[in-house]
Amino acid sequence: MNDAHVEELLSAYLEGGLDGSQAANVGRHLASCPDCGLLLEAMKDAREALGALPELEPSTTLLRRLYAIPEKRRFRLVPDFLLRPSLQPVFASATALLVFVSFLAFSPGGRTFQKSVNRRLHVGYSKVERLYAKAGALTDEMGSYKETILGSLKNVKLLKKGEEQ
Amino acid sequence: MLVNAYSKKVFNMAYQFSGSAQEAEDMTQEIFLKLYSSLRKYDFARNFTAWLLTLTKNHFIDEYRRTKWEKTQRDEFNDQAIAQDAFSGPERSLVREENKKLVWETLDRLSPEIRMTVILRDIQGRTYEEIAESLSLPLGTVKSRVNRGRLQLARVLKDRQGEWT
Repeated sequence: MNDAHVEELLSAYLEGGLDGSQAANVGRHLASCPDCGLLLEAMKDAREALGALPELEPSTTLLRRLYAIPEKRRFRLVPDFLLRPSLQPVFASATALLVFVSFLAFSPGGRTFQKSVNRRLHVGYSKVERLYAKAGALTDEMGSYKETILGSLKNVKLLKKGEEQ
Repeated sequence: MLVNAYSKKVFNMAYQFSGSAQEAEDMTQEIFLKLYSSLRKYDFARNFTAWLLTLTKNHFIDEYRRTKWEKTQRDEFNDQAIAQDAFSGPERSLVREENKKLVWETLDRLSPEIRMTVILRDIQGRTYEEIAESLSLPLGTVKSRVNRGRLQLARVLKDRQGEWT
């Protein structure tokens, strides 16, 4: 049994977790190896020191903060799912939109902007209406030419037949 | 009340793990916030302490990985328990005090996973089975981590004792 093997089993040896033959082997090695013997003693001291570390009392400030948590949650007006971080961009966009709408609705600058937008919309609408009227006139004109074109096509067919005969 | 029953336990575990009382207070508050928001997910068939321990451990490890705890110094070790050891002689008492201080400082050198198992086993006195259940680890892994942690601490104590003699 070498040093590394003994080190692997040291905790189990210390806590009596090895079976008889393994414990005897480790014991023999420890008796003949002062270095491993010292390591075992140091491990005992380390365990003793860990077990003796003092426990601290939480401060009154911390306790006050902890007692406040359930109350906060009990009186929460907003359901938990609305507080998910993934919804934050949605809320931010909605807030920006509301600010913009209220600016348009209530500020003098907003009203001027609204009027200019309305005027532009109106002008745009009139242009579209005029374009639509022109398109209607063009359609009527095309309709009047239709009969003449069809008549011409019939005459061309008759002439071709006359030449063949 | 959860705060009365568990605040001291959680706070001390956070203190032993982080080494800083300020850090431990913040972590305790965060863990209780998590606890209250996860209570709905608690399976009543499970041991509550083990469940809380899992939550606590996950928080510590996450926090450690997130911040890497750039702080290298643990709080100055301060223990008034020295007077309790007076019956074993002032010299032995001083050695014990020195060991506690060294062990306290060396805890920071252990990896978070090993530190957690050592704290649970040797400071909090939990059984290997309890630790394996709360950390969701095989029993052999827990035993091996505890042994590795103890060996690291023991080597530091052994070296220091070598310097004294």
